[in-house]
Amino acid sequence: MHEINRPVLNSRIYDVEDFAAAQELFHSNGWTDGLPVVPPTEAAVEACLDWAVMPPGQLIGIEPVRAQPITAEKLAINAVMAGCLPVHFPVVATAWQAMMKEEFLLHGVTSSTGGCAILLIINGPVRLEIGANATFNALGNSDRATSVIGRAIRLALINLMDVRSGGIDRTTLGHPGKFSYCLAEDEEGTDWQPLATMRGIPEGLSAVTVMAALAPRQIMNEWTTDPKEILETFAAEMRANQRHYSIYGGNYAIVIPKQLRDIIQSAGWTKRDIAEFIYERARVRRGEWADVGKGAIVRDRANKIHTALESPDHLLVVAAGGPAGGFGAVIPPWMGSKTKAVTAAIGACVDCEPPKG
Amino acid sequence: MIVRILDPTHELRTAGARPAERPSSLKGKTIGFISNGKEGTKGYFTHLGRRLREDLGVADVIWRTKSNYSAPADAHIIDEARQWHAVVTGVGD
Repeated sequence: MHEINRPVLNSRIYDVEDFAAAQELFHSNGWTDGLPVVPPTEAAVEACLDWAVMPPGQLIGIEPVRAQPITAEKLAINAVMAGCLPVHFPVVATAWQAMMKEEFLLHGVTSSTGGCAILLIINGPVRLEIGANATFNALGNSDRATSVIGRAIRLALINLMDVRSGGIDRTTLGHPGKFSYCLAEDEEGTDWQPLATMRGIPEGLSAVTVMAALAPRQIMNEWTTDPKEILETFAAEMRANQRHYSIYGGNYAIVIPKQLRDIIQSAGWTKRDIAEFIYERARVRRGEWADVGKGAIVRDRANKIHTALESPDHLLVVAAGGPAGGFGAVIPPWMGSKTKAVTAAIGACVDCEPPKG
Repeated sequence: MIVRILDPTHELRTAGARPAERPSSLKGKTIGFISNGKEGTKGYFTHLGRRLREDLGVADVIWRTKSNYSAPADAHIIDEARQWHAVVTGVGD
């Protein structure tokens, strides 16, 4: 038998008495989200790195504002803590690569008083490999994979970017998605193109989309078979968000469950049709701010029209949710277009230079 | 049973930075304000500019506003700031 020539892990090591002592070490140092963690042992971390074929020192990326390097080893430690199995780790690593793109503005997203969380939307075959559930309770505690992957994002923000409440994280309220906010698309339950394909990832590849997102706002419409009326309910919720939260356009996500999807699909509507309809309908007049107590900033622009989306491309249409019920969700952006959703392929480079020669 | 676990933090592997030199006096100096552009900055920086001039003899106060309140200052502001003796920056929610 050959001995594996494994690169050495570089992190500081702590020897603790038992599982309970490990928890106290992590909690007392501010290394958790308040929940217990899986102790990150060398074996568990190495298993994650082996699965992703990453040496410990591999640079996942450098956060552009604070120039903070993120290595595979440190990310894997946090993924293990969150409960990730090795098979989950490539999704976490790819999400972090996407988060560190300049247009995502990770620093602003994680430090703002606005208090958004980072929503992950998973597409492609990896959903089935990891057992991500896109149906019942899709935005809740639906399955192990989405729960731990979403949590890994937050734990790594805490430990690798110092995004701690009252420190870098200046959030006024926040929302429960800051524990874990991860969703898989129900590609088997729809004829529509997957979100990642709509956003330029070649069909058949796995991908993850990251979005700086507020809490989901649930809508319901079970009393019509007209796609326009169903989508009008989503648009109305977006208009409400423009009035009550932020009037400025950005990436919104809408989650359409199977019951509503079947109606819209059978009428021949594509995701593009939906986005174009919503773009036209989700808009408010600036003067409406005066109706909700914000008259002071209407100024002389009462008739200016603000669209919730800068263009139809800015709507992320996601098929997910249990088979029954006309319950959908609108997920608003953190703050207009200051951040852009980013989609990245998992385990593939779709914009690399082809090999020469 | 001893459990051997790994440190989850960056272990201070951050890019280095060093504070700028502090002027011994503000008299006759040029001070820049970099505002994040929010409403709350207007009253604060207006008042601060007046106090700097009247109480500390600052010669000139230059006020610039970031194009995105959640992002670092724009490159042209950073370039211009090299001509100033000191900079005051902050958020105004």
